[in-house]
Amino acid sequence: MRMSKLFRKTLLGIIFLFAIIFITISVFSGWHIYKNLVEEYKSKGTAIASSIASSSAETILNLDSATVQAMIDQFLEIEGVSYVFVVDSTGEIVSHTFVPTIPEKIKEIAQVHKTGIKDVSIENFGDFLDVVSPITEGAIGYVHVGMNKNIINKKMWNVLAKQLTLLFLIFIFSVLLAYFMVNRISQPLNQLTEYAKKLLAHDFEAKVDIKSEDEIGLLANTMKSMANNINEVFTRYEFALKDAVVELQDTLAYLTTIIDNMADGLIVVDKDGIINHVNLAASEMFGKAESEMIGKSIEILGKELDKLVKKSLQTEEVVSTEINLVNERVGKAVAKSIKKEYFSEESEARGILGSVILIRDITQEKEIDRLKTEFITVVSHELRTPLTSILGFIELINKKFTENILPRLDLSDTKLAKVVNKINKDFKIILSEGERITLLINDVLDISKLESGTVTWNLQEISIKEVITDAYKALSFLFEQKGIPCYLDIQPSLPMVNADKERLIQVVINLLSNALKFTEKGYVKCQARLNEDEILVSVEDTGIGIPEKEKEKIFEKFKQVGDLIKGKPKGTGLGLAISKQIIEAHGGKIWVESELGKGSIFYFTIPLTRKEDLNENTDSR
Amino acid sequence: MKILIVDDEALIRELILQIIDELEDMDIQTIEASDGLEGLELIRKEKPDIVLLDIMMPKMSGFEICRILQKEPPSWDMKIVILTAKGQEIDKQTARELGVKWYITKPFKIDDIIKLLRELLEVKSNES
Repeated sequence: MRMSKLFRKTLLGIIFLFAIIFITISVFSGWHIYKNLVEEYKSKGTAIASSIASSSAETILNLDSATVQAMIDQFLEIEGVSYVFVVDSTGEIVSHTFVPTIPEKIKEIAQVHKTGIKDVSIENFGDFLDVVSPITEGAIGYVHVGMNKNIINKKMWNVLAKQLTLLFLIFIFSVLLAYFMVNRISQPLNQLTEYAKKLLAHDFEAKVDIKSEDEIGLLANTMKSMANNINEVFTRYEFALKDAVVELQDTLAYLTTIIDNMADGLIVVDKDGIINHVNLAASEMFGKAESEMIGKSIEILGKELDKLVKKSLQTEEVVSTEINLVNERVGKAVAKSIKKEYFSEESEARGILGSVILIRDITQEKEIDRLKTEFITVVSHELRTPLTSILGFIELINKKFTENILPRLDLSDTKLAKVVNKINKDFKIILSEGERITLLINDVLDISKLESGTVTWNLQEISIKEVITDAYKALSFLFEQKGIPCYLDIQPSLPMVNADKERLIQVVINLLSNALKFTEKGYVKCQARLNEDEILVSVEDTGIGIPEKEKEKIFEKFKQVGDLIKGKPKGTGLGLAISKQIIEAHGGKIWVESELGKGSIFYFTIPLTRKEDLNENTDSR
Repeated sequence: MKILIVDDEALIRELILQIIDELEDMDIQTIEASDGLEGLELIRKEKPDIVLLDIMMPKMSGFEICRILQKEPPSWDMKIVILTAKGQEIDKQTARELGVKWYITKPFKIDDIIKLLRELLEVKSNES
């Protein structure tokens, strides 16, 4: 196992501490022992030297060197004594313990007669403390005792070695003790570290086995309960997340299923017109696989659709057009821009994000429409032909009667004159009713074409003033006939509008003749005003008015206020329905304000900038 | 003066004949054709001054006759008046494009026909 950091630090500390102890003890203790031993040897040497000196005076005087020799030999056995020699007053060595010869250095020392202690170093012999003691105050001679200094060193080192050995043992013991103690602390710490690492790796099931009740144990317990808490929270969130994901996937799958199973084609494009979603129906309608369309520009599906998308991306309104699909089928495409409102505030999406296009296959409806229009065209033609004969011949009869027969009749006969009058009246009735049928046929044909969108519009820059005055001119004699004044109030210098003049004249004629029809006294007033970006035209009358609940109905086919008030007035009942179609095709609106018994005001608007789709649905019929 | 009536409806031809009868002060010869093909043949054979032409007819429509005549204009002065039940603006426009100046929708007022024929015939006789 690797040495733990904590232990390494402790070990360094111990080593440092012990090094200091070693050095101080060695220096201090060594110096102390050395000093003591030197003192001891000095006193020992002095004692020996004095002892010899006092007891040897007589023997030296007697020149009994053998006795002196025996005495000094005896001292030699004392520990620390290296040599002993006695010199006489002349400096002659009387006896000595050197074997075999006296070193030269000793001979020199022997010449110096000085009591005391001095250090002597003798070659090949060693270092000594030379203790000199006088015999009878130097009169007889001197005793030299050499105490071995080497033994002092030896002794000192011996003691030091013992001390250091003991210290070393204590050091080893300390290290071991430290190791165990550090281990006791660091092992649970390591365990906790491992545990924390596992927790970091989200392994909340990991166990840590620390049962001590000290700080470490407390920490371990805190960590355990923390891990449990986290685990609980994690588990709870994990489940919640799983549930949410499953729910989201289900919702997504549900939506995708709905989109894919739609009968209508669905295409979603982004704000640059790049297709990013296509459903099955759409891919069948264009005969292209989903993969052929996704990521491509909407242009690949035809320029009508491209135009539609571009228009849709610039507005929030629903725009529509007819497009050609594969297999000569026709579709109606409806596009609506997607706004950011469903996205969160933080989302980068801003404003219009793209467009959703729904495509319905209207081939069959178109065909039905076409057949209906064709049917009405044929029927109206078939009706016109006999009507032409009937009206033509009646007119001829009337003409012949008036020109050829009438002059030859005797009108003084009152009975005959009455009959002639009746005949004339009857002719008029037939002719005017014939005219009504003609108008009805025209209107039915008109409305069917307007409703099926197969009308060709003759769009030009026209003046509303001209429209109103032309319409009035066509009706002026009727106003004069009935004695109702018609006031025209047209704002000067109205801008031109892009519209079908004849059709607008048709609308104004219709409104004016309606106003006249229902007005018995008072007046009719036609106004035209510029109102922001549109022209507002109103036709006001002082007629019977329209009940509130009928206001919407009158724009429906074959509805007339007359139905509800009194006898059916003249007219086809299609005029307002046709007018509504014409105005709406121009992008305008038509409505009525009325007070029963007081009169009505019909309004319509023509926008100055017409929405483009007026001529898109036209047909060359 | 020669007037050709081209219409598949016998009663309409009869009506027009009777209307022309009203112009008794003028020297008018009438001929009739009951379909477009016959009408075109009679135009080439009889060289009429005025053609009263229906549009919707079997074999050949009035517009087709006009189209052919536009490509091969007649060598004599011939005026075409269309008399039709088709009253849509688009049809009138087609007629204009084919060079037809007079267009009357059915049902018509006989006075309108009389007035128009009288005008055309007078212009004609003044020219000659």
